[in-house]
Amino acid sequence: MFFHIVLERNMQLHPRHFGRDLRDKLVSKLMKDVEGTCSGRHGFVVAITGIESVGKGLIRDGTGFVTFPVKYLCVVFRPFKGEILEAVVTMVNKMGFFAEAGPVQIFVSNHLIPDDMEFQSGDVPNYTTSDGSVKIQKDSEVRLKIIGTRVDATEIFCIGTIKDDFLGVISDPGSTS
Amino acid sequence: MQFSNARPHFRLEFRLIRCSQKEMAEKGGKGFSLPKGSLKGKDDNSAKSKQGRKVQIDFEDVSDPLEPNSPKTNGKVNTPISKGDSGKGGKASKAASGGKNSVTKAPSPEFKIEEELPKNVKCLMDCEAAEILQGIQDRMVVISADPSIKIPISFDSGLTYAKRGGTFSNPQSVRKILEPLIKYGVSEGEMCMVANLKVESDDEVFALVPSLKSEEGKLRDPLKTALNELAKIQSSV
Repeated sequence: MFFHIVLERNMQLHPRHFGRDLRDKLVSKLMKDVEGTCSGRHGFVVAITGIESVGKGLIRDGTGFVTFPVKYLCVVFRPFKGEILEAVVTMVNKMGFFAEAGPVQIFVSNHLIPDDMEFQSGDVPNYTTSDGSVKIQKDSEVRLKIIGTRVDATEIFCIGTIKDDFLGVISDPGSTS
Repeated sequence: MQFSNARPHFRLEFRLIRCSQKEMAEKGGKGFSLPKGSLKGKDDNSAKSKQGRKVQIDFEDVSDPLEPNSPKTNGKVNTPISKGDSGKGGKASKAASGGKNSVTKAPSPEFKIEEELPKNVKCLMDCEAAEILQGIQDRMVVISADPSIKIPISFDSGLTYAKRGGTFSNPQSVRKILEPLIKYGVSEGEMCMVANLKVESDDEVFALVPSLKSEEGKLRDPLKTALNELAKIQSSV
């Protein structure tokens, strides 16, 4: 899910950037340092939408660098346990399938796929019902529920299930939405 | 008949193994992971093995931890020694018996985000996020002339995700429609999730968000009204 949040960060700036463009340099450095990063608490920082305040700079002893406390508004994306979301399947194998929802990867184990769906290997590996009416393959859209999350240094990885009511395939890659 | 003849033989062999395990535990051997002092799990077995001089008790006690597996192995009880590898054999037999249903269903986690996020956070619906990110992308076309500024991958994937499947053209009206549900106990996160999923019926909402079931009585009618209005907006896009 997306959130709009105020975060704070201490930005260090080299004296060569001081001048009338100080604030612009500070903002572009903030964007380079923060956008695209991921933390366990806030999730992926998708985009910075604005600067709320820039505090007074503090000169660091010995180096000449100046540290500015910056409060900024940003859009973050963070998955939660119990969240239902729609994802696009990226890979299918006999252990289950991988899907992506925005910047987040989700794995659905074959134990959390309905029992009436069996894995079919071949050129296009997929999970199919016995009557062939429902198929999960690459680029299928599925609605799933997140049951667990794991945070690495740079990404969040989730475990999902489609074994509950109103979960499963939304659309096939061949169909036009 | 063969089975009943085999059982005493099995018991004797098993007892020998248990004795050797106990000896090794006493000698401080780590191979069988029987730590002293605690009375959980495997240590129960070691404690029980002290009682295990009586063959019958030993077998039954040992069978207890394996019992959850034995119904699933159905017909394979006559190979209990192979159950010693039950970590693998059990799973294989589950697969052989087509037993995906043998996995115990863990309780489904509830969607509670208020506890984990600071209070100054605003939940965004996907349509709201798409509007914000699209505006940033339009500005980036100008800013991207600067080669030092690179658009992160998470921005592109986030924008694509937010815009998927068509969005509500007016996010403010969507929020106006759903906000009255808050006074019936719907949290902001749950409200945004309902908007994102484009649910079609109130039954679907209660199935997907079990935490709302406690308020089902007073929530059902306002929820139906809100979903009808959302459907009108969606169809007019």
